[in-house]
Amino acid sequence: MPNRRLLRAAVSLACAMWAIGSGAASALDDPAARAKVTTLDNGLVVLTLEDPSTPVVSFQMWVKVGSRDEAGYTGLAHLFEHMMFNGSKHIGPEQHADLISARGGEVNAFTANDQTVYFDDATRETLPLIIDLEYERVANLDISAKTLDRERQVVLEERRLRSEDQPSGRLYDALFSLVWQALPYRTPVIGWRSDVEKATVEVCRKFFSTYYAPNNIVVAIAGDFDSADALARIERTFGKLPPSQPIPRNPTEEPEQRGERRAIVHFDVNSPLLAAAWHAPATGNPDAEALDVLSTILSDGRSSRLYQSLVHDAEIALSASGAYWEFNDTGAFVAVASARPGVNLAEVERRFFAEIERVRREPVREAELEKAKRQLEVGLVNGLETSHALAGRLGQDFTTFGRIRPLDERLAKIRSVTAADVQRVARTYLVEDQRSVVHLLPPSGGAPRKAGGGA
Amino acid sequence: MIRADLRAAVALVAALGLGCSLFAPKPAWELPAPPAADRPIARDGALTRAELPNGLRVLVHEDHRLPRVSIGLTIPRGSAVESPAQAGGVSFMAELLERGAGKRDALAFAEAVDELGANFGANAEWDTVALAISGLSRDFGALLDLLADAALRPRFDAREAQRARAALLASLEHAKDHPATLASWYANRVVYGAHRFALPVAGTPETAARLDAKTARAYHAKLFVPTGATVSVTGDIDAQAVIAALRDRFGAWPKGALVDPGPPPPARAPAQRAITVVDRPDLGQTRIVVGHEGIARTDDDRIAVALFNVVVGGSGFSSRLMNALRAQEGLTYGVSSSYSLRRVPGPFFAATFTRVEKTRAALDILLAELERARKEPPGEKELSWARTLATGSFSMELETSDAVTAALVDLDVYGLPEDSLDTYRTRVRAVTPADITAVAQAHLHPERAAIVLVGPAKLIVPQLDGLGHVEVVKP
Repeated sequence: MPNRRLLRAAVSLACAMWAIGSGAASALDDPAARAKVTTLDNGLVVLTLEDPSTPVVSFQMWVKVGSRDEAGYTGLAHLFEHMMFNGSKHIGPEQHADLISARGGEVNAFTANDQTVYFDDATRETLPLIIDLEYERVANLDISAKTLDRERQVVLEERRLRSEDQPSGRLYDALFSLVWQALPYRTPVIGWRSDVEKATVEVCRKFFSTYYAPNNIVVAIAGDFDSADALARIERTFGKLPPSQPIPRNPTEEPEQRGERRAIVHFDVNSPLLAAAWHAPATGNPDAEALDVLSTILSDGRSSRLYQSLVHDAEIALSASGAYWEFNDTGAFVAVASARPGVNLAEVERRFFAEIERVRREPVREAELEKAKRQLEVGLVNGLETSHALAGRLGQDFTTFGRIRPLDERLAKIRSVTAADVQRVARTYLVEDQRSVVHLLPPSGGAPRKAGGGA
Repeated sequence: MIRADLRAAVALVAALGLGCSLFAPKPAWELPAPPAADRPIARDGALTRAELPNGLRVLVHEDHRLPRVSIGLTIPRGSAVESPAQAGGVSFMAELLERGAGKRDALAFAEAVDELGANFGANAEWDTVALAISGLSRDFGALLDLLADAALRPRFDAREAQRARAALLASLEHAKDHPATLASWYANRVVYGAHRFALPVAGTPETAARLDAKTARAYHAKLFVPTGATVSVTGDIDAQAVIAALRDRFGAWPKGALVDPGPPPPARAPAQRAITVVDRPDLGQTRIVVGHEGIARTDDDRIAVALFNVVVGGSGFSSRLMNALRAQEGLTYGVSSSYSLRRVPGPFFAATFTRVEKTRAALDILLAELERARKEPPGEKELSWARTLATGSFSMELETSDAVTAALVDLDVYGLPEDSLDTYRTRVRAVTPADITAVAQAHLHPERAAIVLVGPAKLIVPQLDGLGHVEVVKP
């Protein structure tokens, strides 16, 4: 049973040590350190973390498949995720969600580049139902032409909502297809419209049998539940699933970028958008923490460099940020800014890249470095608050690294970042030749729609 | 170890042979739902209430599991005090609280917040202005100093006010790039006409252009009195030490009178059906909002209305609207309905989106389902489902101590009984089908609802034959 009281004592101590500038990494008693890892004979991994002090249990099924695994039909991992709610041998379409929400639970799923995640958050008495329902759809999914045709319309509406009618959706779609010319990370997770329109039942079934095998799934449960009961039930249900052959992975590697890439997207906006991205390392790289510190110095809070320069002082942007995005096979440092209506994007870009140039040219101040570390540290402590966040961390870590990374390991790495490290990663990765830049502008080339009277 | 035990158990079961399958446990969905344990909303002794001599209420919620603390100050008056011509003034004042206070200018204040790794926010809502700061509990004193400076000693620097106004004007234009925002703005405008609720909390380009430091200072003087306000502190702190610190920081705050909270909107809003098309020729998806007046936060019908709305459109994937529009027809990715509870009745809205060519089809289904909700309100079966859903999600929503504190402060703001959270589940279980039928009649009016559609007017208007007068506007 996790003991948060011990954790608290340890964190207070750790903070006190950091505050007086101790360079030594402090041990931190992390609740996730108490998570138990159980591997069933068929390869299914179950991560359990009991915490009776919270009223919620979060059950998450992390499947190691995402848009990076797609070839031919983009958006398939996501379309398939929707089909998981559309009925199985014993459960009708939508009934999975109905049964759990009828007890106040929250059911949903998301698809990312590297993972597809199904989650059910509920109170403890609902966990047996959740386990049985999750097993039922993995064991007995039923994909019919009728439900697929209906669901593809739902997904196309989601696509219009998030990508086609959304300025930032248009921006990111254009950006990532510039950054990666070969890797599947170049396609939107939701897929290209034509592929979603044409995916067939056979394609979905093949996808299911290839990737939804117990040896490709990690179950993470955190919060108020009895882990012995839950493990027995999972063994009795999921334990029956046959393991599959080794999971195939895409062999493609990204060729070297030789020179800046640019694109323009026209869309009816008042506020033009700028996006830029540089190639950066895949997840788990030793430079990750320095990139996170760099991102925090640039973007986090009103005293951050980009806010101060572009939003506060020059008053040309509404927001501006840069962040390190890490994926299994690659990474990117992604910068975005929204310009104020009527402002020339070239001016926003000039100011933005001047801030990037500044971190390359001169080391960040010691006070900025300490501030960024504190912001990251507090963020990690805040991430321990809910069962959902804890289960998510377990699932994310295990599907990515094959283990749960202790919080103190992460804190120690953040703590050890120096101003020279920040400058070094900026110089290594934020290189003009390795950059892709997208401008999203109104069709006329910069003039905003004529403002109507107060809506 | 557990794995080994389990394997032994499984092997044993297997060894007993095929007959065992006769005794295989039924899947949980074939069994009755186990009773939910109604956990108390806070740990024994975790809550401490106090009141300072100047009338400021104090709520401390101790939770020692993580080394965190959140501090909030909630003023029980908000943007509803404004006239429509003054729209945005209170929200603008709240923004300026973060742009310099006490000895610090805007940058120094931001530095002080960020150096603690803290999150700070000051926000106006219809009925409140709320300041909040959170960080590590060992920084409690420094965090409280920043919050007290922002609340009691804001600078309202003229240059910062200029900057804030320019940013606000730009963000109001930027907001129009988002179809959902446009739909919401126009829906409120059509429902409420001349009442303050017709305009966004942040104001409009027209009203925002008039805002300055003087306006902000005046609102601050008017609204920031300890009477009726609540300071809440949640986290790894000691209640008595907190109360002593609050006496020190807020004890000298002079008493004052609470201002009038603002007039109620018309009892029928809109008086008759009004259809507005907001023309965005480039969109492939129409935003649809249908709405009219709703109920107040303190309305006696509020629990029955909440359960009614759970069935109609308030329960995610499982509502009647979601079933009709998404599960049956594949017309949308999402649809929801809600009653916005304010001191005086806020709006009821049902909102969805669909591909432009299906606008009429989706709108017809939406209106038909709302009509059916009146004619065939949820009976015992749907109600029983809604009760379990509502009590279960209540426990979920109160997972964190911060959420419990926020819900308790909300009771203070509206003068509701302190034990409302403790009695909530009992009150939910007491709602009858007759109560639901009554609220369906009283609080849902699809026949005279405002209808707002955002998308290409050229393709939408021809679909609207027979629905009533259509007005087309440019955003």
